[in-house]
Amino acid sequence: MAVRTILGNEARLLRADPALLAGLALFGAVFAYALLNGAAWVARQNTTLEDVRAAEVERSAALEAELAEIAAGAEPASRFRDPRSPTVLGGNRGARTAVLPPGPLAALSVGQSDLRPYYYDVSIYTNEQTFLQNGEVENPLNLMVGRFDLAFVLTYLLPLLVIALGYSVLSAEREQGTLALTLSQPVTVRAVVGARLLFRASIVIGLGVGASLVGAAVSGGFGTPGRVALWCGAVVLYTLFWFGLSAWVNTLGRSSSWNATALVGAWLALVVVVPAMVNIAAGLLHPLPSRVEMISTAREASNEAVNSRSELLARYLEDHPEMAGAVVADVAGTAALSWAATVEVDRRVAEVAARYDEQLAQQHSIVRRYRILSPALLAQELLNDAAGSGDVRFADFDGQVRAFAEAWRAYFVPSILSGGVMTSEAVAGRPVFTYRPEPFTGVVGRATGPLLLLLLSAMLVTVPAIVGLGAVRGAA
Amino acid sequence: MHTMTDESRETVAKPEARADGAVLEARGLGKAYGDTRALVDLDLRVERGEVYCLLGPNGAGKTTTINLFLGFIAPTDGQAFVASLDVATHDRETKRHLAYIPEQVMLYGNLTGLENLDYFAALSGKHPGPGRLREILEEAGLQSDAVERRVSGYSKGMRQKVGIAIAIAKEADALLLDEPTSGLDPKASNEFSALLGRLRDRGVAILMATHDLFRAKETGTRVGIMREGRLVSEMATSEIGHADLERVYLERMGDS
Repeated sequence: MAVRTILGNEARLLRADPALLAGLALFGAVFAYALLNGAAWVARQNTTLEDVRAAEVERSAALEAELAEIAAGAEPASRFRDPRSPTVLGGNRGARTAVLPPGPLAALSVGQSDLRPYYYDVSIYTNEQTFLQNGEVENPLNLMVGRFDLAFVLTYLLPLLVIALGYSVLSAEREQGTLALTLSQPVTVRAVVGARLLFRASIVIGLGVGASLVGAAVSGGFGTPGRVALWCGAVVLYTLFWFGLSAWVNTLGRSSSWNATALVGAWLALVVVVPAMVNIAAGLLHPLPSRVEMISTAREASNEAVNSRSELLARYLEDHPEMAGAVVADVAGTAALSWAATVEVDRRVAEVAARYDEQLAQQHSIVRRYRILSPALLAQELLNDAAGSGDVRFADFDGQVRAFAEAWRAYFVPSILSGGVMTSEAVAGRPVFTYRPEPFTGVVGRATGPLLLLLLSAMLVTVPAIVGLGAVRGAA
Repeated sequence: MHTMTDESRETVAKPEARADGAVLEARGLGKAYGDTRALVDLDLRVERGEVYCLLGPNGAGKTTTINLFLGFIAPTDGQAFVASLDVATHDRETKRHLAYIPEQVMLYGNLTGLENLDYFAALSGKHPGPGRLREILEEAGLQSDAVERRVSGYSKGMRQKVGIAIAIAKEADALLLDEPTSGLDPKASNEFSALLGRLRDRGVAILMATHDLFRAKETGTRVGIMREGRLVSEMATSEIGHADLERVYLERMGDS
C-alpha cells in the first residue's frame, strides 16, 4: 500500500517538475533521432544492395547476350574479355554478388555493418586478401562501437539519464528535510527508496524498451521476436545495473553532489576508461601487423607467384617449342598455367591472413575475457548480437562467402584446366549464393554468458544497496 | 514543584515495568556516541491528553529523546515505548501511533499543501477524501486560498500548519515536536499553541522539545528540564508561575 502511495507521489512530483519533464523530453528526442539515424543507415544499406543486385543482373544479361551473339557467328569484343573463357566468366566479369541482408534489428544497432562488408563480388580470384582488404582488421572495440544509433544511446547515454534520476533518490530527501517526515510514518527507507527507484526505472526502461519496440516495429524486427526479447532483456538488466549502483551510492550517507560525482566517475570508468584500457591491453598483448606490411607481404607473394608463373610458362615452352607460336592463341593452356599461379598466390596470401586472423582472434578473446569489467561492453555486445549487427554474424557471412567461393571455383576450374569453352547454358548454371541466417538458438547460446554476467553485475550493486538501505534508520 | 539532581530524583517515581496507559514512556533510556553520552538514564511518561515540554539548552538531549521515540536512532541503554510497544522491536507499529513535527517542516516544494497532506496521510495509512483534507488544513489554520498553492511559496508558519494537519489526518495517539515554534512570529506561535491545545483536548499525548519557557508554561501540562543528557528537573505547569519556571531553569543551568 505504501509502495503504491509513493509511486503515486512520484508521478505527482514528476508532473510538477518542468525541468525533469524537459529532460525526459530531451532524451525522448535523442531516442527518436537515434532511431531515425539507424533507419537511415539501413535504408542506405538496402539501396546499396539493390544497386549491386541490379548490377549483377545487368552483368549476367550482358554475358548471355554476348555469348548468344558469338554463337551466332559474331567475334568477341576483346580476346581478354571473351565470355567463353572460364577465367573470364568465372572471373571479375562474371562475378556473382554474395549479399548479407541487414540484420533483423539493424535499425536499432548499426553495429559493424558500417565497418564490415555486407556484400562481395565473388569470383575465382576471391581469396583471403579479399576479406582483409575489405574489412577493418584492427581495433576490436572500434568494431563493436557503432554510430549514433539506439544501441549507442542505450549503452553510453542512458546511464547518464539513470544517474540524473537516481543520484539523489535518498540524499535529496535528507537534504531537503522531507525524509524526517517520511520516516516518521510507518514505512521503511527500503520501501521509500525502492518505490521511488521503481518508478524512475519504469520511466527509463519504458523509454528504452518503448523506443526499441517502435524501432523493431518499423523495421520489421517483430519477425524475430526472440531477438527483440533478447534486446529488451539486455536493456532492462543494463538499466537496473545503473539504478542499483545509484541506490548503493545513496546508502553511503554522502551528499547529493558527492553521489553525483561518484556516479559520473563510475560512468566514465565503466563506459569509457575500462573499455579503452581493455582495447589498449589487447593491442599491446597481441599487436596486429600493420596494414601496409600486410599489403606488402601479399603483394610480394603475388609477385613471386607471378614470377613462378613466368618460369612455368618458359619451362612449358622449352618442353613444347612447337607451341611457342600458338601460345597467345592457346588460351586454355595459358589459363591453366595462370590458374596454377593464382592458386599459389592464394596459398601465400592465406598464410599472411592467418597470422592476422590469429592476432585478431586473440584481441577479441581478451575483450571477451575482460568484458565483465564493464557492463557497457556486455550490453553493447548483447545489443549488437540481438540486432544481427555483431561481429559473429559478419564472420559467419565471411565464412559462407568463403565456402561459396570454393563452390564457384569448383564450377570453373575443371574447364580452366581442360581448356573448356563456356556457353550461355554455363552462365545459367553458375552457382548461386544464398545467405543462410544463423539459427536463433546459436544467438541464444552466445548471449547467455553476457546476459548472465550483466545480471550478476546488476546483483553485485543491488544487493549491497538493499542491505545498506536496511541499515538506514533515521533522517540525519 | 519537584526538582531532581543527577544523584537523586526527588519526586519522579520510576515507571512500572509495564506501561500502564502511558502513550510515551522511556525507561532508563540512554544514547551514547562513543564516549559522548547524549542521553543518560531517562525515565519519562506522557499520558493521554498531556503536553510534556522538554526544556534545555542545545545539546541537552531533547532532540535525542525525540529521535529515540521515533526510532531514528537506536538506544544504547534502556527502552522507549509507544503505546506500550518497544520502539526497538516494533519500529513500524509504533510509528502508526506517532506524529512528528520537526523544527522545520520540510515538504515537497513543487506540490501544493493539499497534495503534501494527501501524500503523508496516505503514507500513514489514512485516506481521507479531498474534502476532508481541505477541512483538516483549514482546521490546522491554513488559509483556504493557500491550500492549492505550491508549498515552495509557504512561510515557515504555513508549513508548520501543514505539519499539524498531517498529524491531525493521521489521528495519532502521540505527537512529537522538536522546537516547533522556533522562528515563528508571536502570532503564529500563539496559533500553534492553540492548535496543540485542541489536540491535547482530544487526548493526544504530546512531547515537545523547546527553548521557549513561556510557550512551555502556556501550552504544557508538565515541564522537564534537561541538561547534558539528563532530566534534572520535572514539574507540573499548574503548580508554578512563569517566574518560578524561569528561576528553576536558570538554577538548573547554573549547576555545573
